[in-house]
Amino acid sequence: MNRPFQRLKYVYLFIGVGMTIFLMHCGLTALTVTVPATAKANERATFYMHSGAQPRIEEPNTYTTQLVAGIMVPKSWNARQNAVLTYTSTKGNGTLRMIPDSETEPVSGLNWHQAAKKMFGVGPNLIDDFEWIIYRSTQSFTFTNNEDERADLSFDVKVECSVGSENMLVSLGFYVGSSIENLRPDDTDYKKFTFSNPIEIYEGEGDLLDFVNPQLSTVQPVKSFDNDIITLSFDAGVIETELQNLDDVYIQIKAFDESDQLLGEINTRDIKSKLKPSAGKKILLDIWPRGYFNMQPNAQIARLEYFYTDGTGTKKVGYGNTDQPFKYTFRCQ
Amino acid sequence: MKNSAIRGFMMLILIAQLSCKDEISKMVFDETNKDITGNWKVVQLTRNGEEIGKRMDLSGFYINFKNDGTYDLSEELPFVLNEEGNYTLSDPQYPFGIILHPKGQTNTVPVKFQFPIVKGERQLSLSFSLGCSTNTYQYQFERQN
Repeated sequence: MNRPFQRLKYVYLFIGVGMTIFLMHCGLTALTVTVPATAKANERATFYMHSGAQPRIEEPNTYTTQLVAGIMVPKSWNARQNAVLTYTSTKGNGTLRMIPDSETEPVSGLNWHQAAKKMFGVGPNLIDDFEWIIYRSTQSFTFTNNEDERADLSFDVKVECSVGSENMLVSLGFYVGSSIENLRPDDTDYKKFTFSNPIEIYEGEGDLLDFVNPQLSTVQPVKSFDNDIITLSFDAGVIETELQNLDDVYIQIKAFDESDQLLGEINTRDIKSKLKPSAGKKILLDIWPRGYFNMQPNAQIARLEYFYTDGTGTKKVGYGNTDQPFKYTFRCQ
Repeated sequence: MKNSAIRGFMMLILIAQLSCKDEISKMVFDETNKDITGNWKVVQLTRNGEEIGKRMDLSGFYINFKNDGTYDLSEELPFVLNEEGNYTLSDPQYPFGIILHPKGQTNTVPVKFQFPIVKGERQLSLSFSLGCSTNTYQYQFERQN
């Protein structure tokens, strides 16, 4: 009585395992990228994505789709305006066009660019000033089952993009996918993404903006005005400082205008200047500078100088663990 | 025994159906005008998608939309404006924006608006930039009774 049932169980198990293997081999091959280690500011750089198709298709035995490719770059590069994506493959060469903001990615309900940002994040970068931008090929392709066993289905996507005017060290993000799929979290076959080794932009404006290596102190968002809410964070895990293992750390901060006039100063150590615990050894403080320094409507804060101190104000940590203050300049572009 | 189980099951279905019917009869198929009047308090604040409201003291912040088409607000937190004035909805039935007219000024301030239902209560969701246009803030308000 029991035997046929047991046998049936094995049959189901076999089908189940078979299906899993079948599904696992579907879709796209792993994505690799070629990104130069350096690029000169304001010049156009070229990046390559390499992947390939592995069509394992059930009935009706063909799969017609468009190539989807995405990049994650700093917002300041204005890639939406100036990036150009093209592809080469044995099934033909062509261009990719940015997916309109009005088009919704079905799983997240967001547009494709926002959906990709939510799905893939900013990778190894520690500060978020990035945008994902997703493109789709103008042509479509038809694959037949196991076609990759008979033909070369690898493809390259070439990205040409201006790298902006600022000095920075940054890791870029890349994605390839299939237009008839979506960004469902459980799918690992039809969406492949990766982040590049850091690329340094040199001979540009400003101090090197390091997105990749942990910083003793950071300010988020990277671009802001004094009417934004900014987050100052101190990472005690980066190097050993005088403030190691202290529960109470305070900010000591000055605000200056465009002509370096002191507009305001917070020297008190109280709830207003005390940093709050965050992830790991990080502590942070959110401030709205205009309110924090009680600014008059016509006054404008151009930059901040600050230290982190202990409860008495005697132990003080500045830029690179020196007695020089950390600096932050408000700018939007 | 079996009979009573079936009867019980039938009753359950009946109750379920009745409750459905009740819901349907309550439905209004003509879209009503959205009523945003009331005193609204901030329950969530995100910056570029990151929740920052829990780390800040938002308790003193409110915006009050009155019946007579005026509004006032607290001045304790950054907001798209700090002056009281008049407000209108971009479309009373399908609003996607609130237009704020601060008192004594000629300019108007449009604010992106959503009116989702969260845990059975309407929430007022306003999004805008405060300083740099690349930063987007979303304030989520709950109506105070």
